[in-house]
Amino acid sequence: MTRLSLEHVSFWYPATDTPALADVSLEVAGGEVVALVGAVGAGASTLLLVAADLAPRVVGGRLEGAVDFRGRGNGEGGRGIVLPTPWTQVSGMAFTVWDEVAFGPANLGWPREQITRHVDRALARLDIAALRDREPATLSGGELQRVIIAGILAMDPALVLFDEPTAELDPAGARMLWRLVRSLAAEGKAVIVATSDLDALPDVADRVVWLEQGRAKKIGPPALLAEDALCAAGLGTAVAVVWRAGGLPRPYPLTVDDAVRLWRHR
Amino acid sequence: MTRLHPFTLLALAAALVALAWLLPAPGGGLATVAAALGLAGSRGLRRGLWPALATAAPFWLFLFILHDVPTTVALGLRITTMVASVVWLVAVLAPARLVEAMVAAGWRAGTAYLFAATLSAVPVLKARAQRIVEAQRCRGLSPRGGLGPRVRALRALALPLILSALHEVDERALALESRGLVPGARRTPLAPPPDRGAERAVRWALVALCVAALVWRLA
Repeated sequence: MTRLSLEHVSFWYPATDTPALADVSLEVAGGEVVALVGAVGAGASTLLLVAADLAPRVVGGRLEGAVDFRGRGNGEGGRGIVLPTPWTQVSGMAFTVWDEVAFGPANLGWPREQITRHVDRALARLDIAALRDREPATLSGGELQRVIIAGILAMDPALVLFDEPTAELDPAGARMLWRLVRSLAAEGKAVIVATSDLDALPDVADRVVWLEQGRAKKIGPPALLAEDALCAAGLGTAVAVVWRAGGLPRPYPLTVDDAVRLWRHR
Repeated sequence: MTRLHPFTLLALAAALVALAWLLPAPGGGLATVAAALGLAGSRGLRRGLWPALATAAPFWLFLFILHDVPTTVALGLRITTMVASVVWLVAVLAPARLVEAMVAAGWRAGTAYLFAATLSAVPVLKARAQRIVEAQRCRGLSPRGGLGPRVRALRALALPLILSALHEVDERALALESRGLVPGARRTPLAPPPDRGAERAVRWALVALCVAALVWRLA
């Protein structure tokens, strides 16, 4: 079932003439992971804000086209977005990590038992149950990032939007996050993720959207990340980029396993 | 003191300020300023008393320039009471407890957050200013020495402090929206502070005291 549909969406930030998104059309179904890739300023974060109904409602600016979300507003059955800077997303109203994760569910007015159940599950999923009594201000960037993600997941949204979710995480944390993204999709949630961690996408994403100057230049399977045009734009996987730089013939391999297979059959 | 219900702490600070302006000068002002400075001092010299006195000092200077001595003393005591009460309140009242108390009392989550965010603004800005000063020091700017270097350091502090605060306001608005703090939200109180009968009685007594002082002054 289509969870989110963007039809010919363009968006202008306040006091700008150049659109940050230009004529973007995209459908995302429940159970699907869609990755947004592109250079800085390509429009990935803006697309997430539009999908989260924060632009133009909160950000301001002007939107053209149609955004159709099949679900409720924020939180349970609705939309949840993890923004790229965890320290600006802390509520500042929590004594402990548990309280911080419970901030969103409490704002939804849930009964206490439901809040407790969802918060405990989110802490366990992010592997931060041991931090539950720590003061949020004492956490490292990576720990805080996990807490913020747990806070969004505890609200049980149907569409989860991640903006550079691995930026603050160490390699083990990033692997955990990508496993979590797949498990969210397995539960039927729709997931859109803007990321520079291109090497993770072949195992995580169902589709990849290449954004350039606000336009969706190409939409396709993760194999897109081994295409010559994306590699030339610096948006291929590391293996594909190295293969191309080595002057080896196409098709470029997407992953290390692909490279081994191709190398053996040369 | 920090275990008192947030409304009791607010009532105490508000009553001190109200009485400072209602009671006749200089006796009333002296009594309230002594109480307020005593409360601020109870949080320690560096955390309570010194910030209150340092914040009130410029007001005394301006009053002394603009007014005669009796007026300066009367207004100065009242202003010092206000400053010391606020400094004490910021030191003892945790914003998170205030939100919980307001939500439990039936206030909307957005309104409660607005109150609490105002209370927490001073320590947040102070911490941010400290980080900016450290960053500027790493880049060779010294806030020590004569007037010239200090003014240069202040300029290098003010601009990033204001710009980063404005930028963070935008990001925080997005984050709070995405975490359900929307207009009209009915938040579930997670750990509402206990509101004992004795504290409620104290609050009503403070209100009665202020009303009595007002009636006495108007009579």
